[in-house]
Amino acid sequence: MKVAVIQFPGSNCDQDALWALRLVGLEAELVWHTERSLEGFQAALLPGGFSYGDYLRAGALAKFSPVMQEVRRLAQRGYPVVGICNGFQVLTEAGLLPGALLANTNLHFTCKEVFLRVERTDLPFTRAYTPGQVLRIPIAHGEGRYYADAETLERLEQNHQVVFRYTSPQEAPSKEGYNPNGSLNDIAGIVNPAGNVLGLMPHPERAVESVLGSADGLPFFRSLKQALEVVV
Amino acid sequence: MKYHITLLIELKDGILDPQGRAVEGVLQGLQYPVENVRVGRVLEMELEAPSEAEARATAHNIGKALSNPVMEVFVVEAVKELA
Repeated sequence: MKVAVIQFPGSNCDQDALWALRLVGLEAELVWHTERSLEGFQAALLPGGFSYGDYLRAGALAKFSPVMQEVRRLAQRGYPVVGICNGFQVLTEAGLLPGALLANTNLHFTCKEVFLRVERTDLPFTRAYTPGQVLRIPIAHGEGRYYADAETLERLEQNHQVVFRYTSPQEAPSKEGYNPNGSLNDIAGIVNPAGNVLGLMPHPERAVESVLGSADGLPFFRSLKQALEVVV
Repeated sequence: MKYHITLLIELKDGILDPQGRAVEGVLQGLQYPVENVRVGRVLEMELEAPSEAEARATAHNIGKALSNPVMEVFVVEAVKELA
């Protein structure tokens, strides 16, 4: 079971993703974005960074990379595809996930730890979490405000496609003020209806060892490992 | 024939534009009586096409490829034949 970590020009979380995947015992390799085949891979991870320098719009040019056709094919065949941060932006631009990521309401590039509530634990990325679990995971983005029209948003909620939501730490007296970017419905991560394509703005790969400040992202990769062991 | 194309990409009405708001705040600070400032993009390019109509059609396809219909609209603003 091998995971492809797609490297676009300007990706900068590719090595961290590779590290996290290998940490849980997954086989993973970097794949340059001009590759036309993902033969032999059973999952793809689109890492964070600034593909094409975020020119035009974050993720807008990366969607035309040759490898994206293969990522699409993996997704259609039901294999896990995950986009983290810029990878999430690429997945929405490519139409593999609905909606878009717009400039943070406060216009700041925000780099800090946030709290996430896990809304679904039946997915290949979340089965090692418990329902409603609150995670401490870092974000680092300027365009992370999830936006979709009212109809799409309602459909997402009805189909339970929201997987991670910004929330407060459990001990906080107020639940307000913990959405770091103005995302609609506090959305931090969503999945496609089939449950195999996931995008999220926070960085689980930056929270896989306690020395990094949090290991709450580790179960994300453990879940993927478990899921891939079942796929033949 | 060679044509010069001007393509505008703008945020849809109703989509919050924090960049526009920041610019608006600065302009108001300079005492300009402005409101509803929106920031978009202008793309210019030169294009080879057999006729103006075909140049316009190609420009339209380019606008479609480069804009995101979730939050943007595009306009082929100008198609000018180059000498």
